[in-house]
Amino acid sequence: MSAELDLTGVLCPMTWVRTRLALEDLDPGERLEVRLDPGEPLESVPRSAREDGHEVAERGEIVSILKR
Amino acid sequence: MTLTGAELERYSRQLVMAEWSGTAQRRLGEARVMVLGVGALGTPVATYLVGAGVGHVVLVDSDVVELSNLHRQTVHSTGDLGTAKVESAAARLRALNPEVHVEPLRLRVDVRTAPGLVAGASLVVDCSDSFDTRYAVNDACCAAGVPLVEAGVLGLGGLVLSIRPGRSACYRCAFPTPPPAGAVPSCREAGVLGPMAGIVGSHQALEALKLVAEVGEPLLDRLLQIEGRDATQTIVSVRRRPDCPACARVAAAAQ
Repeated sequence: MSAELDLTGVLCPMTWVRTRLALEDLDPGERLEVRLDPGEPLESVPRSAREDGHEVAERGEIVSILKR
Repeated sequence: MTLTGAELERYSRQLVMAEWSGTAQRRLGEARVMVLGVGALGTPVATYLVGAGVGHVVLVDSDVVELSNLHRQTVHSTGDLGTAKVESAAARLRALNPEVHVEPLRLRVDVRTAPGLVAGASLVVDCSDSFDTRYAVNDACCAAGVPLVEAGVLGLGGLVLSIRPGRSACYRCAFPTPPPAGAVPSCREAGVLGPMAGIVGSHQALEALKLVAEVGEPLLDRLLQIEGRDATQTIVSVRRRPDCPACARVAAAAQ
């Protein structure tokens, strides 16, 4: 199962707040795809997700997070 | 319980913390916390609990606001003189966070009223200023299995202890007998500096949030002593007493 989250137009730190809450609703092994604006959101959300131990892949403005 | 957009924004600076979570926030939202006393310690305690989004905060106090309270009891204002403390605090706290159900209860906390007050609470925060009240609240919480945060402040010193009845040392385990009458001056006689109440009460508020949200390591079996004179803090280990009249027979509260 996977989930999608469109956070375009959302500023930091609300981007990470919303991403974390969405990740909490998933089970380990499930994937969350987050669409983010360039700049601070696309720079900081992948970093925060990695710091929390998740596996992160970036494709353009989509950040794909595999929950650990 | 789903967080609204406004709640996400309001609580965003705690929701982004690695130690916090949506689950922690929901635990706060579902909690009913009794704040016993809205004076020196109750000011930071009630303010931070309401700010953080504890769902239901009950304020209990029988006093009215006096001019000599205001240097440390900053939840009240000069315009509130003569008003019941629970009413002036409730007005201020509802203005701070209308999402929280703030319930004022003008009642004296004593050995007679304590059992009824703590029944059904998620947590009790004792912000009273007398030894008699502390023992009464401690005993009622132990009997009901309700977690409790105790604290005291006087002059330039203070202490904080969290209690999970049946699992950690209670106030009576740490202090089996009250000090002899007259040995410890009351707040009225000894005085207190406003920031000391803020520091001790803020620690108490932090303990309350940790216990309700199940985050971090509360001061269980550890008494925090704070000395403002030289800005030092000391942790003193305390243990359950097998013969404690308050908590020895309390079964560990189910988690």
